[in-house]
Amino acid sequence: MKNIILGLCFLVSISSLQAQTMVAAPAIKIPALDKSPMDMAYFPANFPVLKIQDKVSAPLAARVIYSRPQKNGRPVFGELVEYGKVWRLGANEATEIEFFKDVKIANKKVLKGKYTIYALVNPADWTFILNKETDVWGAFKYDEKKDVVRMTVPVQKVAEPAEAFSILLDKSAIGMDLIVAWDDVKVALPVSLK
Amino acid sequence: MNSFFRLLLVAVVLASCTDASDKPASVSAQPSPAIKITPRTNLVSSATSPDISPLDVIYFPADFPVQKMSQNGAALPVVRVIYSRPLKQGRTIFGSLIPYNDTWRLGANESTEIEFFKAVTIQKKRVAAGRYILYCVPEATQWTLIFNTNVYSWGLKQDPSMDAHRFTVPTRKIETVFEYFTMNFEKAQYGVDLTMSWDTVSASLPITL
Repeated sequence: MKNIILGLCFLVSISSLQAQTMVAAPAIKIPALDKSPMDMAYFPANFPVLKIQDKVSAPLAARVIYSRPQKNGRPVFGELVEYGKVWRLGANEATEIEFFKDVKIANKKVLKGKYTIYALVNPADWTFILNKETDVWGAFKYDEKKDVVRMTVPVQKVAEPAEAFSILLDKSAIGMDLIVAWDDVKVALPVSLK
Repeated sequence: MNSFFRLLLVAVVLASCTDASDKPASVSAQPSPAIKITPRTNLVSSATSPDISPLDVIYFPADFPVQKMSQNGAALPVVRVIYSRPLKQGRTIFGSLIPYNDTWRLGANESTEIEFFKAVTIQKKRVAAGRYILYCVPEATQWTLIFNTNVYSWGLKQDPSMDAHRFTVPTRKIETVFEYFTMNFEKAQYGVDLTMSWDTVSASLPITL
């Protein structure tokens, strides 16, 4: 009996010890996972992986952070994304592009730093817009006065449509292309790194 | 051809890296061909689907980009975290999938990034404005959170010579099971808590503003 009581005391003291270190917290409101998850693209591509493998052969030039809406059977351009309007080029927070060195777009110098990138979408061409106002939501407060550069590029049709809105940074003769692909449309913005 | 092999190598490494179960050592280890994920390739097609451990962003003040839309918002946030969110998927996370006393990337894929837009104070130490990557050494009752300056790297391998700060905080048991690894900012009297929760464990790092 004494042993049982001692054992009980021991158990109680252990559980109270645990209670001190592992205090039960009040229930927390769990944010749901986003329907249009965020993603990143680097140039050089997969820079973080190359970095930990000691395989970096060129310095980090750019990074894009964007959200990826899905087509979900909907007609995208001209419907979901309206023609002739400034679009946030993704979903949720406006898409961010950061240059780690000065670059040139449409022959205009763009200083290293963070920008919001928008697109004015038309059936045959898109105008990419780099804007100084960062950490914003959507294109609701887009202010033309804060534009840094605009460049209009032609739309290409692709054979295999992309379900998820995709941005990648791909090597080009002058530096890199910012490639945007969604549904049956692909558009490339040339960026000079020279 | 050379670039094809490089792409293939990156794809294989990415495939081996994406699951949260990988230990830091698996970078040099033989990758398991069984894990099938879609790496971030240069192919523009439906194959470029979102990651299984999607990226997410949190701000303090909370929902800063939305607040900014209301004109009253400040020009810059105080702090921003960009991290990837692995899933529990029925697994026991701490002490099992993530072993105790070993480094954990505090997320998945790319290293978790924290950016302070102004200097802050944590555990009476000044933390300068700027970008850091975050990783963690979990133990049963406490986590050591490490701020490191080796930014833009992949989470599996840390370089301790670039550690800037280490802070140890207690863990707590939570009633709700977090399916996704979740980080959020909670306003506090002294500033803000960065709270990290996954499975049934949660830890908070108090940040004084």
